[in-house]
Amino acid sequence: MDLSLLQALEKEIILEVLRRDKQLRIIEEDRIRRMKCELQELRRRGAKSLARQYGERTCARCQRPLGKFWNSGAVCRGCSHRICSKCRVGVGAANWKCTVCHAYRDVKIRSGDWFLEEKGKKFPAITDKYETVGETLLKTYNVLSHISVVPPTPPPQLDYQFLSRSGDLKHAQPFTKSVENLMVSFTSHIKKISTSQNDVRDLLRVNNSPRGIKYSNQKSLSDTDINKCGILCKVPSLPNLFKKNKDSDQEGSSTGAEEETSFSSEYSGGRRSSNSSVSTECGLFESVSVAGELELAIAYNANSSCLEITVGACRGLTHGDTKKRKCHPYVKLYVLPEKSSKMKTTVKKNATDPVYNEIFKYQIDRNLLFGKRLQATVWHAGTLKRKVFLGHVLVPLDGWRYEDKSSQCFTWYPLCPKIESPDGGTVE
Amino acid sequence: MASATATYGQKEASDQNFDYMFKILIIGNSSVGKTSFLFRYADDSFTPAFVSTVGIDFKVKTIYRNDKRIKLQIWDTAGQERYRTITTAYYRGAMGFILMYDITNEESFNAVQDWSTQIKTYSWDNAQVLLVGNKCDMEDERVVNGERGRQLSEHLGFEFFEASAKDNINVKQTFERLVDIICEKMSESLDAGDPAITGAKQGPQLTEQPAPPHQDCAC
Repeated sequence: MDLSLLQALEKEIILEVLRRDKQLRIIEEDRIRRMKCELQELRRRGAKSLARQYGERTCARCQRPLGKFWNSGAVCRGCSHRICSKCRVGVGAANWKCTVCHAYRDVKIRSGDWFLEEKGKKFPAITDKYETVGETLLKTYNVLSHISVVPPTPPPQLDYQFLSRSGDLKHAQPFTKSVENLMVSFTSHIKKISTSQNDVRDLLRVNNSPRGIKYSNQKSLSDTDINKCGILCKVPSLPNLFKKNKDSDQEGSSTGAEEETSFSSEYSGGRRSSNSSVSTECGLFESVSVAGELELAIAYNANSSCLEITVGACRGLTHGDTKKRKCHPYVKLYVLPEKSSKMKTTVKKNATDPVYNEIFKYQIDRNLLFGKRLQATVWHAGTLKRKVFLGHVLVPLDGWRYEDKSSQCFTWYPLCPKIESPDGGTVE
Repeated sequence: MASATATYGQKEASDQNFDYMFKILIIGNSSVGKTSFLFRYADDSFTPAFVSTVGIDFKVKTIYRNDKRIKLQIWDTAGQERYRTITTAYYRGAMGFILMYDITNEESFNAVQDWSTQIKTYSWDNAQVLLVGNKCDMEDERVVNGERGRQLSEHLGFEFFEASAKDNINVKQTFERLVDIICEKMSESLDAGDPAITGAKQGPQLTEQPAPPHQDCAC
């Protein structure tokens, strides 16, 4: 398809709509991907391993032993596994499902997969066509647009190998594909969302209690009404299930669960760049309004099993010392959730566009990158060890295609007004 | 128009706090009031001036229905023939359609059959369609009476509403009914495929006793 029949102005208008659609899709795919990861995680914990033979009388979900008479478990209609009474969802003696079957169905509904299945029936040959129509147009006509290229956000793919390896998420494939399409085509324009920061900031100010802040951080961009709804009518959603299961499951320690929640909140916060700078007076550091971008290049050296992070430069930073209009910025890196991984650049004096070009190596096995995020915070080194937060960037490390040379190039990331302390908690 | 709406609903568009996302498409002849209908629903605004939609546009609205937060991405399409290639590309993936005609315009009503064929050709088979006769506030200029609309809708197997974007009649109801129909379809298609609900079948299957008949909760 081409738009050559249309006038330039019309093209512009249409492309603008397609861009908005793309943003929406990226957000949606991110949501679906996280949902599927949670499901996968839930499923993984119930997996039978060599250590636990199938015939053993244990609950297929929580692995707790089942008794012969008391708490002997029952067979789930969905997966035909024997399930203890605690791992069931739904009411009634007959109408229950095990946590995984329930979550599977839930994901299918919430991701829209139930509908997408029909696609395969009607258009078996031309899968993905819908996903790429807008993409193709955008790609073809991107040259025409006068929109400056915004730095790409890290690809929103997390663990496809992980998903497809397991093979039991049979509908994961179309998503994988479409996300890959997105990946291959440009990843710009995503951060345009950050223009809405101001709105969100206002919204977030409404909730001033610490709990409120935390909550809205997690649910970031939703409007307050819906937030309230969310509190009032919390349905048994995946994360809840997840937590419940975790609680009942002794192998998941409470810190693990904590980590998990903070991961999702932090991650979404980073991606949507929505978190406000509520964190002002906290004693640890001061915060000014956040602006500017940070240039990073991330590569993985398979020979030395090192993650190589190059801090290129910053541009458009705000003055850390607003009164004297001075800025002595430096960049601090963490590979979260580890706290031991602190790396710092030198301090550049009097620069809002400092150039660092410093390479940091972080020894880590490639497989261990799963679930890790690179956090880069920019600080102003003030007098008397006073430091001022200038912004941060959060890059999930597990989605990177380290083989792909283009992803190893320098990329500009917009700084976000939010800080996570290295131990995972939000500093407030 | 698109640029004016670009900033609209940013927060709504990037909100992930919802249960489902439905894509809905509004189609029909040019000037039947598709854009007005959408503006009435999403912004509760109405402008009598006619501005022809360029190609496609969409708005996002999150509603609370059946205890679920449902995010609607509502596509507004240009009725004009010259944009047809781009609009039909968006039929795929749309879970619901609002097929609209103008009760004061015979031609737009006659075109309904063609639009319905378009849907059948380009959309997926489980997409749901509602027929809407818009501008029902203009009773004086009516040329298509309600009964004809109803008969046609029955013939095509769609549900039917007469509505007015100007006077805000049946606009919300139309969208909510469509959402309900999609939800119904959803539980239907899920329950049909229920036995194969999970891929976690490894090893020998346990069967304890003949399964009692089971009904599932809707959604």
